[in-house]
Amino acid sequence: MQLLQNTRIPFTNASGSPVLGRAGAMGAASPGLRLQGRRILVVDDDRLNIRILVGILQTEGYVIAEADSGERALELYESFRPDLLLLDVVMPGIDGFSTCRELHKRYGEYTAPVIFITAKNESDDVVEGLAAGGVDYLPKPFRRKEALARIRTHLHNRLLVEQQKSLVDQLTEANSAKNKLLGMAAHDLRNPLASIRGLAEFLSDGAVGNLTPDQADLVKTIRETSMSMLTLLNELLDVATIEAGELKVNRELQNLSDLVEKAVYLNNINASRKSTKIQFISPPKAAMARIDGSKIQQVLDNLLSNAVKFSPPGSTIRVKVSEYTGGCTIAVQDQGPGIPDNERHRLFKDFGTLSVKPTGGEKSTGLGLAICRKIIEAHRGTIVATNVAGGGCEFSITLPT
Amino acid sequence: MSFKGKILLVDDEAHVRKYIGLIARQLGSPQLIEASNGREAVELYQSEKPDLVLLDVNMPLQDGIQTLKQLNQVDPDCVVIMMTSLASRQIIEEAAELGAANYIRKDTSKEAILSLLQQTISQCFAND
Repeated sequence: MQLLQNTRIPFTNASGSPVLGRAGAMGAASPGLRLQGRRILVVDDDRLNIRILVGILQTEGYVIAEADSGERALELYESFRPDLLLLDVVMPGIDGFSTCRELHKRYGEYTAPVIFITAKNESDDVVEGLAAGGVDYLPKPFRRKEALARIRTHLHNRLLVEQQKSLVDQLTEANSAKNKLLGMAAHDLRNPLASIRGLAEFLSDGAVGNLTPDQADLVKTIRETSMSMLTLLNELLDVATIEAGELKVNRELQNLSDLVEKAVYLNNINASRKSTKIQFISPPKAAMARIDGSKIQQVLDNLLSNAVKFSPPGSTIRVKVSEYTGGCTIAVQDQGPGIPDNERHRLFKDFGTLSVKPTGGEKSTGLGLAICRKIIEAHRGTIVATNVAGGGCEFSITLPT
Repeated sequence: MSFKGKILLVDDEAHVRKYIGLIARQLGSPQLIEASNGREAVELYQSEKPDLVLLDVNMPLQDGIQTLKQLNQVDPDCVVIMMTSLASRQIIEEAAELGAANYIRKDTSKEAILSLLQQTISQCFAND
């Protein structure tokens, strides 16, 4: 009676909603996932078994194809592209296990789930079936509710895997489109901005005539604003380049202490505006490292300008290079407020600005340290920040030789 | 140093021609002529015979590299300084192989651009 009643249920109920809601009631599938129309390949050399299974499956609205051998199943798989296979174990020709192994060999991780049909509930068969790549087994004689529940579960999983894969694909595509747009926008905005900044410099230099103090003040604002926009654009471009996997480091053996000394010298010019001093503590002998000079220079500029930015005016920033077996370290110690513990995780992330503010009204994009981390990682090095006991913070870079 | 030669400034963007033109004037008292695309540049080169070409890399239709090749055909001894915004190593190397004298980055400071121009000019016109 139960069986009869079930077989008569149409694909939609009286109110027009899909019958699949029943699956949800059984806890096997969520109501949002429609399993109707999913494709099942039934493989058995016994015609009667196929007839029984097809009878059970049809009530659920699945699309079904039949095969009477492993060979035929492999053929049909290609054209039918099932979402699930019911596969008999003992068949003339290649058996179910070999068929399953062959499918996995051909289609890899996206092979449709295989449920083995076993004559009896023999644990050896079950174990071998699972080892061959099967996901489940269905003992004969079939019990309708059990069969449907197991099939629903695996169709449901399959659907989720498909959806997840397509979501990942979509996100990957969207992310690369975003990077492309970011790169293009930054690139196309740079030229005009560079000209605006340069032309404003000509005006403020007095190269094209003298300005009144008020005019000079306006021009200065134009110059400074375009300068900070250029910095932001450069950082956005770096992020786009790095995210697109186009960050290339050309490592050459060179004197790291020289490079650091030069960066300290250049950044001292800016620092002196805040009466801050950057002190360089050189190693006893030249520290050599295999690095991309311009990229490490960029990292140093970033760390040093950050140190100046976040230290109160009149501070002393200490930069130390040291060598150890297998690499070099560069440490930059500032006299700023340090990094709040609860914000530490954001420090090296894109747009990871903290509650700590620059002491001289400087701008911060929150991209600099993320770029630093990526450059250092491309060198297979590490960058860490630690708060110093007496106040301030130390950024330490380790570069392997 | 005071450069009095003729400079052909090639860039599709008017603001760049204006900005770089201002910098070039600080070289001394050069005579400046401008082109806004590669084809015009080659035509002007033939009629005006400039001493120096400042040539943008990234231009629509005919880019700087193509233009440089054509200039080389017209005059194998032409002195060309390339202008880029983002220095792509590959393009710079290609330009160098094609005989470009140097390259400037338009997004660096005007002092940096000026000193690079002066340096290149004194190298290229040392015997003049």
